[in-house]
Amino acid sequence: MKQRAIAIGIFWVILLTVLTLRAPGFFAGGNLRDMALSNAPALLVAVGMTLVILMGEIDVSVGSQFAVATVVAGLAAKSGLPLGLTVLVTAIAGALLGSLNGALIIGLRVPSIVATLAAMAFWRELLRWTTGGAWIQGLPASFQWMGLSQAGGEIVIFAATALIFGFFAWAMRNLRAGRGIYAIGSASEAARLAGIPVAGLSFSVFALLGALTGLAAALNAMRFSEVQPNAGAGLELKAISAVVIGGASISGGRGNLWGTLLGAAVLAVIAPSLTFLGINAFWEKAIQGGIILGAIVLERAAAGKRSARAH
Amino acid sequence: MRIENRAGSERALVGLILLEILIFAIFGPNFFTTGNAFEIVRLGVELGLLALALTPVIVSGGIDLSVGSMMGLCAVAFGYLWRDAHLPVWAAGSCTLAIGLAGGALNAILISRFKAAPLIVTLGTYSLFRGIAEGLTRGVDNFSQFPPSFLALGQGYIGGIVPAQMPVFVLFTAGFYLLLHRSIYGRAMRAVGFSPSGARWAGIPVENRLVLAYTLSGFTAAVASLIYVAHLGQAKSDAGTGYELLAITAVVLGGTAITGGKGSIFGTLLGLCAIVILQNGLRLAALPAELSGILTSAILVGTIAIGRLKSAPPKPEIDQAEDEVKNSQVAVLSAVILAGALIVAGTNVWLVRSLKGPETKAASGNKVVVGMLPKAKGDPYFVSCKRGAEASAAENGVELIWDGPTDVDPAKQNEIVEAWITRGVSTVAVSVVNAPGISTVLRKAREKGIKVLTWDADAEPNARDFFINQATPQGIGSTLADEAAAILGNKGDFAIVTGALSAANQNEWIKYIKQTVAEKYPGMNLVAIRPSDDDRDRAFAETQTLLKVYPNMKAVIVISAPAVPGAGEAVKQSGRKDVKVTGLSLPNLCKPYVHAGVVQSVVLWDTQNLGYLTVLASKLAAEGTLHAGVTSIDAGKLGKLEVKGDNVLLGKPMVFNKANIDKFDF
Repeated sequence: MKQRAIAIGIFWVILLTVLTLRAPGFFAGGNLRDMALSNAPALLVAVGMTLVILMGEIDVSVGSQFAVATVVAGLAAKSGLPLGLTVLVTAIAGALLGSLNGALIIGLRVPSIVATLAAMAFWRELLRWTTGGAWIQGLPASFQWMGLSQAGGEIVIFAATALIFGFFAWAMRNLRAGRGIYAIGSASEAARLAGIPVAGLSFSVFALLGALTGLAAALNAMRFSEVQPNAGAGLELKAISAVVIGGASISGGRGNLWGTLLGAAVLAVIAPSLTFLGINAFWEKAIQGGIILGAIVLERAAAGKRSARAH
Repeated sequence: MRIENRAGSERALVGLILLEILIFAIFGPNFFTTGNAFEIVRLGVELGLLALALTPVIVSGGIDLSVGSMMGLCAVAFGYLWRDAHLPVWAAGSCTLAIGLAGGALNAILISRFKAAPLIVTLGTYSLFRGIAEGLTRGVDNFSQFPPSFLALGQGYIGGIVPAQMPVFVLFTAGFYLLLHRSIYGRAMRAVGFSPSGARWAGIPVENRLVLAYTLSGFTAAVASLIYVAHLGQAKSDAGTGYELLAITAVVLGGTAITGGKGSIFGTLLGLCAIVILQNGLRLAALPAELSGILTSAILVGTIAIGRLKSAPPKPEIDQAEDEVKNSQVAVLSAVILAGALIVAGTNVWLVRSLKGPETKAASGNKVVVGMLPKAKGDPYFVSCKRGAEASAAENGVELIWDGPTDVDPAKQNEIVEAWITRGVSTVAVSVVNAPGISTVLRKAREKGIKVLTWDADAEPNARDFFINQATPQGIGSTLADEAAAILGNKGDFAIVTGALSAANQNEWIKYIKQTVAEKYPGMNLVAIRPSDDDRDRAFAETQTLLKVYPNMKAVIVISAPAVPGAGEAVKQSGRKDVKVTGLSLPNLCKPYVHAGVVQSVVLWDTQNLGYLTVLASKLAAEGTLHAGVTSIDAGKLGKLEVKGDNVLLGKPMVFNKANIDKFDF
């Protein structure tokens, strides 16, 4: 599946070259910073999603989890909880939602796509029903940027994202749990026989994805001074696309976080680069779909060539 | 892989459906009638076709996420072929079906020849098909005025009672039943779902069977799309949004294993019934639409989980269950349908005898019942309208039913009005998403003696009695252009951040903004239009990019309530003091940004008064005080309001700025 990441990488370089020639302003420090900030929460979710997909499972409920966690963050801050605690409570709320998925999937053996499809509708609709779409306003002034200056807040978001990404990129190669996830995705029964606690580890990965989604929601909410309850619409597609574009196999066992980073980076530049190049927004979705399909075809072509050489 | 007792899970589903029918027969006025039974069929056809097509796909161990987007692409293609290529309807329809086949074949080839996972391929075509539809129409184009002979396919009745699309659905059900249960192809798909390599060893041409499943899926989506267009009377790029998830839910609820190898058309029909009856029943019982999503997902997980709990802990089991539909099951199905029909017919006779007339206004005595329909329930703008409507209902002794789509689905509004017609209400008040789409249903409501009002956005004038006119699109467009001109000093660059690209209202406003600029402000230049999908965070990111790409752009017009604070935040964080935002939003959402000086002004009318007036006018219309020829009405706390022709005028749009915004709380 390396070929897919390479195919995408080639596409990315072409796009960046076009941007260098046609719209050099794209690479101004300010623009890169803003794009990275806007996409940092999605990257955090994609990190968790990578682990889930490496296990051969999927979670389509992260967008709804993100919305619930965002509202939790708003309510916690409004109730006067200190900011550190607010972030913690939000991450815990996310972890609980993730654990519930995990319990259904591992405990009751409901297929993950079914369980999380149900969770997606359930939490989104429950949130709509209870909040009626009302925003949470009048938050303490210190909510935005965690009481720091704008630059300080941005640094915190960057640092947290980079730290978490770096840790997992390291852990997937070096920790027993990380290798265990690959083992489960390759052959779950073999992993169990090899002494890997399959059930416990699988459950933890779903809870972890929830916690990362909650943390992402908290960090995202703190870029603003008010909380909107319909946050995270379409986040599940964005996260899954990032993982898949990055070369992970949807049936598990193959892929890595650097691929996901590449996938997230490609998705992040599409919308802004269209604006920079003056291309109409109406073609955005078609281009996104075209990239995924193009990657599949290129990957296959590359793999075909290689196997022809081997013969 | 274990085989569960499928007959057991189907019995449970039948029980569930009967329970739903029982509950809604008690709590949903006019739920248990022949007319409503056929209405349910009509509403379920598009979704049902997709679910039928997805059954073989899922049985073969795959999935197709692109069917909803395919409906959008086919709707648009049909519109172009008929209107712009001047093809006759049958030819345009045939070409559309060919496009469906081609799209399905694209999925099929990528999955079978390129060996890519179905989830990834169809995730790609999910974006691609919708993207092409949006790109071709630029989100704006909207095809309508199809010939009545075509519309009859989606709106007509055969013999006065059977919906016209029913024969199509029956045909496809039979076709898919034969394919999956009575042919070697279905047998092969099942084998592929169990084990592709095993199937290959058994001599099954795995690739060809997969090609068949996915191509059929694309074709059936095209058929569903044609019926959808005929049903709504309108073809637009957003047709079928979100249908793929509901269709998958129906299939899985019907006992088809998402991992493949096992499933039946009969089960899919049951799953479909459970979902559609729940949606319809909740509407008739005037319960919030969100409950349908909540309950459906609970039922979905519940049925599977209970099945797992009942079955023994995991241990290898020998396949004993015969996976074909037995004749005994067919007999049970026929018996259930027959019994259901008898009960419904019997009750109908009883109802007609006891009521001696139309079933409307059965439930609530003399109290006026007003069904009020916003464009979308979660939108802060409509949340604010609702507050005014509720206050008015309490003050004027009106029973208010407030319901609307929870997400962008133009078909939902029609379904809700249909449900209210069946339920029986005194007045329907609609904020219209699609004028040509909903007008047929509104005319039907008027025929049944229900008063029809429109508010916020109008339908076709002959489809309603009165329009509660808060401000015309022209008034809004020109006011916004004036505000931008004031920011720019009549010349310079500005950009527009809109809601969804295909949102009808927003596109109307953009048209008038452009028109006003062309006529009054030749020095002003529109540099870009970007979508926000009514998401504050996306509006924020889009505005950030605009600020960098167009350094000379000094004004941003934002025409989506949640997007204005997003754009304001982007300007604020950029530190640019020379750029200002104006737009259409709620004062409460924008106060901090207006005071910070980044949002120059917000244009809107008093939304709570709009809700208040709509409910009051609905009551007056139902009681006959508001009728054709009236020139003014006494509007309670709003005083005397002018009625001009068939428009009740609320007043001009207001401009909120630093000076006055704190006086308003909505």
